[in-house]
Amino acid sequence: MDLLKFALKKLIGGIPLILGVTLVSFLLMVYFGPDLTYEQLGKNPTAEEIAQVRETLGYNQPFIVRYGQYLMELITLDFGFSMVKDQPVSHMLAQSIPVSLQLTLPGFILGNLLAVILALWATAHRGQWIDKTIMTGAVIGMSVSFLVVIIAFQIMLSSRYGMNLFPVRGWNIYSADGTFSWWQYLQFVTVPTLATVFVALGYNTRFYRAVLVEEINKDHVRTARAFGHSQKHIMYKAVLKNAMVPIITRVMFSIPLVVVSGSLLIESYFGIPGVGQVTYDAIIAGDQPILKAVVGLTAALFVVILLLTDILYRAFDPRVELK
Amino acid sequence: MNKKINLLCFILLLSACQKNEDNVTFSNQSSVIDGIKTYRHSEDGKPTSLDPIKAATQYSSFVVTNIFDTLYTYKYLKRPYELKPNLAQEMPVISDDGLTYTIKIKSGVTFHDHAAFGLDNNKGREVVAEDFVYSIKRTFDPNNRASGAWLWQGKIQGLDQWKADGADYNRAISGLTALDSQTIQIQLIKPYPQLTYTFAQAFSAVVPKEVVDALGQEFGSKPIGSGPFILDKFDSEVAYFDKNPDFRKEPFDIHYEGYDEAIHGKTGIDSLDGKNPPFIDKLEIHFVKESTSRWNSFTKGDEIQYTTVPKDKQNTVILSKSPLTLHPQITENFNYRYGMEAGFVYGGFNMDDPDFGINGDPEHDAKSKALRCAIQRSHNWEQKNRAFYFGLGTIFPGIITPSVSEFDPNQSYDSVTLDVEAAKQMLTDQGWDATNLPVFEYHVAGSVLNKQFFEQMRGFMNKMGYPLHLIEYHPYPSFGTFNKAIKNREAPFFFMAWTLDYPDAENTLQLLYGPNQSPGSNNFNYQNPEYDALYEKASVMQPSPERTKIYREMNQMVVDDCVLVSGLSRNKIHLWHKNVITYPDRQMLGGGHIRYVDVK
Repeated sequence: MDLLKFALKKLIGGIPLILGVTLVSFLLMVYFGPDLTYEQLGKNPTAEEIAQVRETLGYNQPFIVRYGQYLMELITLDFGFSMVKDQPVSHMLAQSIPVSLQLTLPGFILGNLLAVILALWATAHRGQWIDKTIMTGAVIGMSVSFLVVIIAFQIMLSSRYGMNLFPVRGWNIYSADGTFSWWQYLQFVTVPTLATVFVALGYNTRFYRAVLVEEINKDHVRTARAFGHSQKHIMYKAVLKNAMVPIITRVMFSIPLVVVSGSLLIESYFGIPGVGQVTYDAIIAGDQPILKAVVGLTAALFVVILLLTDILYRAFDPRVELK
Repeated sequence: MNKKINLLCFILLLSACQKNEDNVTFSNQSSVIDGIKTYRHSEDGKPTSLDPIKAATQYSSFVVTNIFDTLYTYKYLKRPYELKPNLAQEMPVISDDGLTYTIKIKSGVTFHDHAAFGLDNNKGREVVAEDFVYSIKRTFDPNNRASGAWLWQGKIQGLDQWKADGADYNRAISGLTALDSQTIQIQLIKPYPQLTYTFAQAFSAVVPKEVVDALGQEFGSKPIGSGPFILDKFDSEVAYFDKNPDFRKEPFDIHYEGYDEAIHGKTGIDSLDGKNPPFIDKLEIHFVKESTSRWNSFTKGDEIQYTTVPKDKQNTVILSKSPLTLHPQITENFNYRYGMEAGFVYGGFNMDDPDFGINGDPEHDAKSKALRCAIQRSHNWEQKNRAFYFGLGTIFPGIITPSVSEFDPNQSYDSVTLDVEAAKQMLTDQGWDATNLPVFEYHVAGSVLNKQFFEQMRGFMNKMGYPLHLIEYHPYPSFGTFNKAIKNREAPFFFMAWTLDYPDAENTLQLLYGPNQSPGSNNFNYQNPEYDALYEKASVMQPSPERTKIYREMNQMVVDDCVLVSGLSRNKIHLWHKNVITYPDRQMLGGGHIRYVDVK
């Protein structure tokens, strides 16, 4: 019951956050986003046609009316039609979000899991060559541009100029009879995942190592050592468990971006029809219905994540109260 | 020991990446799997809506022309471009006064299957003349945000009035009627010789009313037409199509289509003579903007099978530019063609601008003309061509592009020939010097490439004495905002491109016709009564030497008045796998050539 009350309180408390995010983003879209009027007009428009297009795009309505409509759309989850694609926004998102999830989840999970393992290993061997090697690798991963990593991995693993092991582009994860094929999925997801892990690993490892190193110097760890617990026991039970709060924070707050935003660079270079690509196209085209949906849903997801994070804190640290 | 092994692995990995491009061999795997022929095409941009009335971009138009039928299309291989009947039975019957067009359409042509037709097994119904009338009406429906209405605006009797009266689809239009199920009659307000060309454009494609009514706005993403391919799926990366099994049987006559053994002999097209297109079972059109990715996918062998050569690969592909020869590695592995765009890039002056335009005061106008002409003469087109178009562009004077038959190769090239001394002299003669020159604003949609164009032009102008600090870059965040500034006459000088809608110089000459001034297509706001009179005279004339003479006269006026810094038509190299039989062209033909593609 306490948990339910807490959840409700948190969700209601998230409403100002959603209002703030949507208001600022909508303000930016309306006043600084591309004006579609002149994109959608023919080659020899008259002043009357210009006014007509503005009307059909809804540009002639006052800001407050448009913002009110936006909030209604968010409540009803009906974002209407894309301004340029003639598809319902909900349909476009329903098609592209699962693709982005399938694409980014392996990299996200592996990138965090491996980083925790490497950070634990480096922390356990602080100052030794293992630590130095892992940290050097992490710095290299952080320093190389994601774009360069994507191109290099694509050439190295997928193209004829490299090892030619995987497809260069595409997302054909179904077999001829329309059923999901693990083999094809692995073919298409491997190289994007390796590129994601290569870059994410550096940032994550450095962050997690710093958190773990801070923990390893605390009194309870020294006490555990004095009691003669093994290094493995200390690292997992004393250090990692106590460092879970910052680790959870980092992991959880990445989720909305993984779910709704996708990965534009990965999707464009590997020809994957994910939500990152849809969002990018919408930004370039000034397709407000899609942008409104993506921003609104990301904000709403953040509120849910805030709630889940608090609950998880409690699971790992009983001292945290749900209030 | 372990460290040494790791190092060795790393070096091996790197060496794999550093394989010399020249040593790479390509193998075109078969495109026929289990008897199903699949062709994977690539485009370097993405379509938006697939509704014909919104097919304003080359990418949308490319897809639309494969799903829908237009009354006319262009002969596949014939150049200069020549129209041929498509859905129409034959070329239109035109009355002596040039005002009435009667067009018979083919019988037995059916739309793709769809439940909205209400027939057994969702079969598609027959295409009738009324469908064409409905399709053009849709273009004039203000609720549809159509982009192609300008082609017929003020041309067809009663059409504009129909729109003004509320666009009621039940109301007839006097100039646009279906005489019977197979006959269309169009009555014009005044002769419009380009009318038949407009019926070859994607904008005029024939759509079924039942499906439009059933799908509403979603028709743009679930299009149903009567063309050679049926859209299966469409997302931000690929459009998948199946062959239309009910597509009319029209044997491919290579000689009628303009086959020339010397030009097309190596393509294998002759093997398709007499067969019924489309020849492939499945079509995929991949939208690949990233050039590295497109090239890697193309050279892989079993992915995309056609590409234009990305700019960053031109040095890999081209062995010599004059004459154009390709690297043996490329010709050995791929088929290719070299094609000029039906359009051009240019810089234009806003003649309404207080400094660079005209205002009726003879002294002011003489000074501003000298300014414009000096900028024109200081422009080094050759250098621009080398720096940005790999020396492959075709430079020409004025506004009649080399892709149309009215182009005059004998016209003076002075306006596109660098002459810094002449430019300096023009400025001096009109009393211009570094102290009194106005600020020159270069307006453009912002991009790295456009900034480079600007810097180069600034260098050209500086050579004739224009101080660098007086030459300013004015980028816009999108083409829409840039276009808005032009339509609002806020850009004294702008750099842009124009793609021809039909192979008739009228399409570019109308860009300077006075009544078309902004927000119309005359972005230059050029007002010249003499030019306008010639335009009005020529625009109602059928093609003839007399009309060509008038066109050329108009072109010279524009050059003499230095309204533009023009121009250059870009040339593209098309590459395709050897297991594909095709002769790609994405200019006038749009996606119309895909029905003739075959794979091995």
